[in-house]
Amino acid sequence: MNRPTIHARGVCKRFGGLSAVNDVDLTVAEHSISSIIGPNGAGKTTLFNCVSGFYSPEEGEIHFLGQPIQGLPTHKICKMGIARTYQNIRLFSQMTAIENVLVGQHPRMCTSWFESIIRNKRCCEEEHDAHRKALELLAFVGLAGLEDTPAHNLPYGAQRRLEIARALASEPKLLLLDEPTAGMNSQETAEMTDFIRKLRDSRDITILLIEHDMRVVMNISDQVTVLDYGLKIAEGKPAEIQSNQRVIEAYLGPGASALSKKFREKKTAYAA
Amino acid sequence: MDSKLKKRNLTPRTIIRVLVALVIVIYLGWRVYQIAFGEGTFGPETWMRLLIAGLVVGGMYALIAIGYTLVYGILFMINFAHGEVMMLGTYAGYFILEALAAIPTPTAVDPELTFLNAYPVISLIIAFVVGAVFSALLGYLIEKIAYRPLRRAPRLIPLISAIGASIFLQNAAQLLFGPQRRQYANPDFLTRGTGWMIPVGDKKVMLTYTGVFSLALSILLMIGLFILVKKTKLGKSMRAVAENKQAAALMGIDVDSVISKTFIISGVLAGAAGVMWGVHNGLFNHYVGFLPGIKAFTAAVMGGIGNIPGAMMGGMLLGLIESLGPALFGLDFQLKDVIAFTILILVLIFRPSGLLGEALSEEKI
Amino acid sequence: MKTSLKRGIRIGFVTGFIFIFLMVIGFTAVGTTMIGNLLGTLDNIGADARLPVINLLVLICIFGVITGINISGKNEDHNWLEIFVGGLSAGLIGGIFIAAAIWGIGSLHMQGVDFRTYLPKLTPDELPYLLFYSTPSAAATAYLMYFFIMTVATALLKRTLSIGNWMAKLSNRANLGVKKLTTKISFKNFFSSKLTIVILLIMVGVALYFLPLVWGSYWNYIMGTVAIYILLGLGLNIAVGFSGQLVLGYAAFFAIGAYTFAILTAPEPHGIELNIWLATLISIGTSTLAGLLLGLPILNLRGDYLAIVTLGFGEIIRILIKSDLLTSLTNGPNGITNVGQPSWLGKVFTDVNYVHLLMLLVLVGLFIAKRLKDSRTGRAWIAIREDQTVAQATGINTFRYKILALLLGAAFAGLAGALFASRNQFAGPEDFTLMVSINALCIVIVGGMGSLPGIILGAFVLKGIPELLRELEDYRLLVFGALLVVMMILRPSGLWPAGKKTSSSPDSDAIIQDKGELEA
Repeated sequence: MNRPTIHARGVCKRFGGLSAVNDVDLTVAEHSISSIIGPNGAGKTTLFNCVSGFYSPEEGEIHFLGQPIQGLPTHKICKMGIARTYQNIRLFSQMTAIENVLVGQHPRMCTSWFESIIRNKRCCEEEHDAHRKALELLAFVGLAGLEDTPAHNLPYGAQRRLEIARALASEPKLLLLDEPTAGMNSQETAEMTDFIRKLRDSRDITILLIEHDMRVVMNISDQVTVLDYGLKIAEGKPAEIQSNQRVIEAYLGPGASALSKKFREKKTAYAA
Repeated sequence: MDSKLKKRNLTPRTIIRVLVALVIVIYLGWRVYQIAFGEGTFGPETWMRLLIAGLVVGGMYALIAIGYTLVYGILFMINFAHGEVMMLGTYAGYFILEALAAIPTPTAVDPELTFLNAYPVISLIIAFVVGAVFSALLGYLIEKIAYRPLRRAPRLIPLISAIGASIFLQNAAQLLFGPQRRQYANPDFLTRGTGWMIPVGDKKVMLTYTGVFSLALSILLMIGLFILVKKTKLGKSMRAVAENKQAAALMGIDVDSVISKTFIISGVLAGAAGVMWGVHNGLFNHYVGFLPGIKAFTAAVMGGIGNIPGAMMGGMLLGLIESLGPALFGLDFQLKDVIAFTILILVLIFRPSGLLGEALSEEKI
Repeated sequence: MKTSLKRGIRIGFVTGFIFIFLMVIGFTAVGTTMIGNLLGTLDNIGADARLPVINLLVLICIFGVITGINISGKNEDHNWLEIFVGGLSAGLIGGIFIAAAIWGIGSLHMQGVDFRTYLPKLTPDELPYLLFYSTPSAAATAYLMYFFIMTVATALLKRTLSIGNWMAKLSNRANLGVKKLTTKISFKNFFSSKLTIVILLIMVGVALYFLPLVWGSYWNYIMGTVAIYILLGLGLNIAVGFSGQLVLGYAAFFAIGAYTFAILTAPEPHGIELNIWLATLISIGTSTLAGLLLGLPILNLRGDYLAIVTLGFGEIIRILIKSDLLTSLTNGPNGITNVGQPSWLGKVFTDVNYVHLLMLLVLVGLFIAKRLKDSRTGRAWIAIREDQTVAQATGINTFRYKILALLLGAAFAGLAGALFASRNQFAGPEDFTLMVSINALCIVIVGGMGSLPGIILGAFVLKGIPELLRELEDYRLLVFGALLVVMMILRPSGLWPAGKKTSSSPDSDAIIQDKGELEA
């Protein structure tokens, strides 16, 4: 169809003697919601960091919309259209909510410091626009009315949504969400799941997420990639992954797949 | 399978760095050639003299630098008042030696004999111990009063508090003891300016008793500290607290106590360095801690802040650079600080985490 | 019981130690003079010109009172016996400590020991005064008695009045009252009316214009210094306060600006004698260039490394200026005299003109800083300060913005330097020591990082007040150092913290009101 949003080949990231990511290929289709899953320490966040530019992989290439991005500085990658959220929320806590979102718009604005001092027409218009867009974004994520609250005063769920608003502010083509439902109860999780789906449907955006909550993953993903000890062990649609033996063993240990097969047989036997 | 691409960043910065490094190496090489084979402004005995002086002062810098690095490793703050901790040690040692020099212990042979000269070794030991104790006490108090309430504050706040403490202590010393310079009363066998004459080339160089004494004591103390940190339980606790305070607390380590002990240890080292300074250099006043403090901190950073062998190495290195640098570059001796700081800047440009690197964990993303 | 005993002993010991310390550094003389000024007893000097002992007694009583107040601290839940025991122990321990010290010093003095070799402030003239002109034992007893009595009395008195609770209630009521008042008058609306702002500005402008003409050259000098330090603070604020880079050698840029101006306008070393305003611009240029040369290689360094490198740079510049190597350029330790002065309407600048110029420049500087702060650039800086890694990932080219901050900071310093040299008609290496950098840093942090009114306040406090406290003379720096520590502990966010007032939602206001009613 179109070129894939992300096309990574042979990505390797090592820390000393440890291969956190070992020869991983990843293809993310445009306008899709893809998930990366795997037990703790599998290398998911490391892979994320390679894609978003925090790490430079030792080997391999990562192409974003056809352009190679491995090794580029993070601000350039952001300008190209990749934005992310973080596992443990990293907002600018002393700034207010709207200021956080305004910072997010930084790469799409172009007022220089000199223009800011003299406040020429372009600067004023741009600021006005930016404020308007920021308010819209805050409303979109459900934080209307909280613009002037300092970020550290917001409740946890609101902070997560603010982080997403900040990421959306740079008008990204690819949004990386690192465990967006961490620490949420089932109702909040359901809301977040709906929100992610709404996000993808209403914008020209591709979403790649790391998740631990399998219901979320299976619910909204178009594609699931499974990592274990830095290696990719499976990839495909959610249904395929669910019954993939290697995946089950990665999570539950060896012998688990035989066990689960036994239970499935018993289940069908009872149903009959 | 496609070939795995390895990208080497040939940014302009790398090119500039390589060029600058080349220029420096070539210049140094040329200077060394000049010195070794040219007429040479300095004979070998001068170099020897400078080398010895550099080692001696380097030992003192190393002791103070360890203090900075210990505190930084555990609290991530620059203990700006550490120079004043050393200064108090110098004063304490001074008063003790004065007192001991005033106790008459006349014998038949020498009716003018004082305690200081009758029992010189004991006197020195007392002076050092008292100096170390007072410095340790001061370090402990500074932590308790000026740093502990600010433990959760952002980084710049304790720095200002430290600066305030430093200014306060300098002026307190000036008001207490007066601004005049004082002179250390060394026991006779350790008189300043006396020493062994060593032949170097066809001239003689003096290896001062005070110099040898200071260097030997510095090395002893450094070894002692190293053993303390690596082998004892306290050392382990210190390393644990430096690594992760919360985890250490969960393991049952009393974090406050460990921090206090760290300040005490760095105070002991600084106090010993202070007494050493007085014994070797003689003249001092309330500013005696200021410049060595800054230089020792520079040395700690150069070796890699938070890294104890780094601080030791940085201190010795700084002493040598200060001493040998001006002669090596053919510059005036008054520019020794300029050379030292320039070398620091160059080191940090080429090795941003110091010569031996930091002993700190990477920032987690 | 035991805790109050321990607490009492600790407080008594600490207060006693502080008193002895102050005595030994000679602060008692200053303290008693101040008390004398307050009470007017200084005129009652006896026939043989002995200093009034009453002031000293008052001093020791004040210490007793302070000790007594500290016994119970903030919460008033101690019962009578605990307070009594605490006061008793504190008074006894502190009193005995002080008395012993007095007795010891006094006896030694009686035996003819001269302290001045070791403790220069204990002069033979002052010691009898400290001993109330009597024997050591009598004096010691007097100190002990007065201290002890005042301590216990104050502790008990405080408990009686339950001052703690009463004050808390009072401050609560006051807070509520102020809140009600301000919501009624609604200052915000008042101030946002354009007319009032204009009128206010005109009033301030007029005041600023006329005051320097009126208050004499001493105050002009001080206000000029404060203004220069505000400029320094503004510049450093951009590097430290906004973007969070710790620069410890800021005086280097100050020096470069001053010396450039001096070299270009003074007849002495080079005889260039350039036009003043052109020289000022060039000074700003050289400082900025220095900032660029320093910043490019080192801006990647982490905070504390950056601090030491900038400190080193500051020292390098100072030593180079003073050195023989550059004497032909800078005139070495002697400095450059007869630095050029601007002229207005044909006449050379007077000190009033300087103050006006400086005020104008401060206003311009504030304007620039404010505009920068509320812009895309300012937000980028603050983001870098908060979390540099994330800021970069959000699209901000951190290196470019950090360099920009440093360059702007250097430019401000260069301007301040040129004015400094011009006003003093002199530029010398001793005016650009590490203390100057530290002063500028303190202004930024004590005033409130990133806060513009904080910088103004900080400059006034740190530069203006020591001038006012001339009486304290030798003790100024001592008090300054102690103040820094105290300020950081009590109010780390600064005198006038940056940051917007959070809009208080109607709910929280109602809650505060309800709470107030409950306690009333």
